Amino acid sequence: MKPNGPSFVLSTFMKYLTLLLAPLLAAADYTVPIERYTLPNGMRVVLSQDNAVPVVAVYVIYNVGARSEEKGRTGFAHLFEHMMFEGSANAPKGTQDKIIESNGGQMNGSTHPDYTDYFETLPSNKLASALFLESDRMRSLDISAENLQNQKEAVKQERRLRFDNEPYSTAIVDRWPQIAFHNWQSSHSLIGSFEDLNAASVEDVRRFFKTYYAPNNAVLAIVGDIKIPETKKLIDQYFSDIPQQPPPKRPDLSEPGAKGATEIYKDPLANVPGVIIGYPGPPRRSADFNALYMLDAVFTGGDSSRFQLDLVKGKQSVLQFEANPGWPFAAANDYKAPEMYAMFMLHKPNFNGTQIISQVQDEIAKIQKDGVPQDELQRVRTYVRSTGIMQLQSALGRARLLGQYEVFDNNPGLINTEMQTYMGVTSEQIQAVARKYLVPEKRSVLEIVPAPKPQGGKEGQ
Amino acid sequence: MRALIAIVIAGAALCAQPFDRTKPPATPPIPDYKLPPIEEAKLPNGLAVVMVEDNRFPLVTARLTFRAGSRNDPPDRPGLSGDVAALLIEGTKTRTSRQIAEQMAAIGGTLAGSADADGLTLSAVALSESTAKLLELMADVARNAGFPQEEVALHQQNRKQALLQQMSDPSYLAHREFHELVFGKHPYAHTGPTMASLNKLDRNAVLAYRDLYLVPNNAVLILIGKLPPKAEAVKIIEAQFGSWSRKEVKAPAEAPLPAPKRQLVLVDRPGSVQADIHIGRLAATRTDPDYVPLQVGRVILGGGTTSRMFVDIREKEGFAYDAHAEQAPNREAGTFAAVTQVRNEVVEPAMKAVIGELERMEKERVSAEELSNAKNFASGSFLLMMQTQNALADQFVMMRNFGLPNEYLEKFTGRVRAVEPDQIQAAAKKYMGPEQAVIVVVGDASKIQKAVEKFGTVTVTKIQP
Repeated sequence: MKPNGPSFVLSTFMKYLTLLLAPLLAAADYTVPIERYTLPNGMRVVLSQDNAVPVVAVYVIYNVGARSEEKGRTGFAHLFEHMMFEGSANAPKGTQDKIIESNGGQMNGSTHPDYTDYFETLPSNKLASALFLESDRMRSLDISAENLQNQKEAVKQERRLRFDNEPYSTAIVDRWPQIAFHNWQSSHSLIGSFEDLNAASVEDVRRFFKTYYAPNNAVLAIVGDIKIPETKKLIDQYFSDIPQQPPPKRPDLSEPGAKGATEIYKDPLANVPGVIIGYPGPPRRSADFNALYMLDAVFTGGDSSRFQLDLVKGKQSVLQFEANPGWPFAAANDYKAPEMYAMFMLHKPNFNGTQIISQVQDEIAKIQKDGVPQDELQRVRTYVRSTGIMQLQSALGRARLLGQYEVFDNNPGLINTEMQTYMGVTSEQIQAVARKYLVPEKRSVLEIVPAPKPQGGKEGQ
Repeated sequence: MRALIAIVIAGAALCAQPFDRTKPPATPPIPDYKLPPIEEAKLPNGLAVVMVEDNRFPLVTARLTFRAGSRNDPPDRPGLSGDVAALLIEGTKTRTSRQIAEQMAAIGGTLAGSADADGLTLSAVALSESTAKLLELMADVARNAGFPQEEVALHQQNRKQALLQQMSDPSYLAHREFHELVFGKHPYAHTGPTMASLNKLDRNAVLAYRDLYLVPNNAVLILIGKLPPKAEAVKIIEAQFGSWSRKEVKAPAEAPLPAPKRQLVLVDRPGSVQADIHIGRLAATRTDPDYVPLQVGRVILGGGTTSRMFVDIREKEGFAYDAHAEQAPNREAGTFAAVTQVRNEVVEPAMKAVIGELERMEKERVSAEELSNAKNFASGSFLLMMQTQNALADQFVMMRNFGLPNEYLEKFTGRVRAVEPDQIQAAAKKYMGPEQAVIVVVGDASKIQKAVEKFGTVTVTKIQP
């Protein structure tokens, strides 16, 4: 905002006013009720009641992710996530899944650059089962050498299955972060090297648990067919006596500037060439970010997006594309700055990566020159608004958003208001972010080229 | 109503218990699913209409589903139904592909066609304020798709690239090979196009398929969401679909299903760091009395993370990241398969373990505890699925394509609750037995062929798009 000066702010504000009518209607589409409070031990709680379907989602999000890892311990946050499924004092190894699944529920967890989450969805009268499990492992995780060894093997197998044996995955997980970032905290592999996984000790696990898995570093979000007073009572009974810990130190994630690197990766598992293009993005929830969010929708949101109509259809060069601020490991609403606005495209072999990159840059140039025509922008707004409502349909979808907004923004109410902010973004703002951020000098590129298949007897990796 | 009162009382009783956080809490039984209000209608041209009320969100979700899928593909054109489905939205007599895409986005929506074995379905969603416009667009693509030559050509090119990409995915290869072996000469054997069928894709074949099967008397329109009152909704539907002419649809020629027999195939994928293993055979359809017992048995064997396969193969042995059992119910015959992906070095013990678990399902009655847990898991998963309009719409598509009544959804958890151990064992004997199962392994033959040969004579095949 700063370089544009006060006149820009004013003109932006005026345009916003004229658009206010539509956003107000949009906001009334659906309002998520929110009850928010903090336990004495610092654990933040967000509740939302919806009695339409007899289902409840329990979502626990910890404010730590792969970007908090230390050198020599790549993959540790994810390894630790696995340890959370190894049992605790009153829900010993092998019983966790049973507690949830035998009550008709489902559970899982996931590790991201800036957070780790654990969640259950259950028939709503089984809520206490999930609270029992989540509180017990937050209080008394069973950390043993045997469990650690077992999970090191499980993570290695996950790596073999989901990364080393799949086309594009190694390029995306191991190479792309190095091309996108200078800072090791952001550039190292989220899944980790076998060497670092092997080096992790029981003491590392204990320290990580104590530091980051404290109630004051967590948010509990519950959404669904609940009654607020009874739910509060249950939460108090299960969580309030877990001791709080000193607030953890946060990693320095600062980037000295755009890396602007280019690399070609030869992928023996890929049959179709691909290219990843990324630009350092603005901080989340800044005015520039909101404009970039809408620009992303102009480029890649649905069948009438510009990439679909101009590249897949018009130039017939691109086959599939995906993009968002935070791609590939984060979504637009769930990371701390900095992140890239990155896109991944598979393209036809009769085009080379350089041609695809220049086609994308041409699309950007059109926005830089002309902005977005009003009818197109109105269409994109409706599309964004509608997809926003769609992701609220499931209880877990809402719980996820509430938990993430609480952790990253201290404001779960954004679930009801953020859409309005996006709806207010103007063509001029979109044009301005395209000019400021999506320039070739700041661009990082990873081309993925199919490599000859290894002959029998030769290792694929 | 009575069940509801029982649950309320049970809930009250639980609240009275002293709190003990060292033991898993006792909770009431899983509630049944309650269908939202449903309205049905039938237009004079035979188009069936189902309207389901869901006022929670300002959305409407629609399906127009035809009883024709890859089962109806001409034998020399596998995958044609998928091409027809994909091309429906690429232009009509009055709208270009671009106009369709823009007009859908303008109502906050998406519209796409897809085909599976038994059905071809147009799926759409939009803001409910634009329900009439959504129906206008759906009717236009269903009735007036023009299949412009340049769109057919582009689809042909892109689908070929997509197929190439699929061929690099080991689980796709395993799935495809498994179906070919299990179904033999039956049309269900093909799961999608081949390079050869895509090379000869042409507009006339697409038009011919459309004209044969995409007619109102072969279709059901399903609408879920914040809908206008019934009379008004039917008026809108009649305006869009009423003049669409009925036409007799010839049922596809009957095709015999092969008798189950052991076949062992290794699909060579040089460089693979692990092996994808599918072991399975033909199984019950969704209307078969064996279906629900088989499903509960599937949960015990390989559904969720407390299943036998998951605990044995992943947790105890550490052979694999994933080990599960799957069941696919097509109209004429379903499939059942135990599936895992293991590292090259443990292919033999892992296959032995999977086969052992399948045999155990045949030979032993399941324990009361396993049964109770599996029933809850199956019922709970069903309830959890019912949260979104898309999921509910897909359930209605399935029910209409398989001839199941609406009560199916409300009765499902009750049917699960009623399953007895003997029924599971009987279903396992019929559908899980490994001695007559197809075994497909996708992996690096130079590394794993010897291990696979321990299980019989192996046919090694090359990957062929």
